[in-house]
Amino acid sequence: MAVIVRLATETFAPEGELAGFMRGLANAEAGAVANFVGIARSRSGTGEEVTALFLEHHPRLTLPSLEQVGRDAVGCFALSDVKIVHRCGTVAPGEPIVLVAAAAAHRRAALTAVDYMMDRLKSEAVFWKREDGPAGSVWIEPTDQDRTDLERWSEACPE
Amino acid sequence: MRIGFFGKLRDALGDECELAAEEGETVARLRNRLADLHHQADRELLGPRVRACVDGVIVGDDFLLTGQEQIEFLPPLSGG
Repeated sequence: MAVIVRLATETFAPEGELAGFMRGLANAEAGAVANFVGIARSRSGTGEEVTALFLEHHPRLTLPSLEQVGRDAVGCFALSDVKIVHRCGTVAPGEPIVLVAAAAAHRRAALTAVDYMMDRLKSEAVFWKREDGPAGSVWIEPTDQDRTDLERWSEACPE
Repeated sequence: MRIGFFGKLRDALGDECELAAEEGETVARLRNRLADLHHQADRELLGPRVRACVDGVIVGDDFLLTGQEQIEFLPPLSGG
C-alpha cells in the first residue's frame, strides 16, 4: 500500500504524474487505475473573468491534510495505491490544480475513491482559494453543494 | 502571544499580530477582543466557520490560553 502526496509549488504535468504513479504501483494485482485532474478556469462561478487563481496553504497543516484524505481513501476502498498532487501559489487558467489517482483490484473501488477524495479535498484540504480578475479578488468558500457532496460519504466512509 | 491569520483574514488583519493574553482567556474571549480591536474584520473573526489553531492543532472556542502559544485563525477551507 502506498500513499503518495505532493504539494506542488510550480505547475505540473498530470500525464507525467500519472505515468509515474502507474510505474510505481506497489501491488501487481491492481486491475484498475482511475484519476481526476482539476483545472483552473478562466471564468468564476458567476461568470466574471479570472486571470489567476491563488491557493494559499499552511506551512504545517496542508500536507498532513492531503495525507489524511489519501489514507482514509485507502482504508475505505481497499486501494493498493493513492496519489494526490495539489498546487499551491498562483495558478493560471488552464493549468492543473489537483491530480488524484487511485489503484484497486477492480474499477468500481478506484472510480469511487477518486470521487470521494475530491469531495474531501474541496472542504477539508487546508487551502484558501482566491480568484483574481479585472473586477478584483474574491476568496472562495465551500458551497452548500460542496457540503452536500461531502455528506454523501458520512455512512460509507465515516471519518 | 503571536496570532497569525490566513486567507481573507490575512487580507483584513495582516500576517500576524502580537497581543498579551489575559488571565484565564479562552479562544472565544480572544476572538471577541480581536473583533473589538479590528472592527473591519469583526464579522469574519466571529463567524462560526472560522476555526482557531493552537500550536498546530485545531481547538474549540472554550480552549484555555496561557499566552505562550502560537495561535492562528483559519477561515473556511477551499481546496480541490
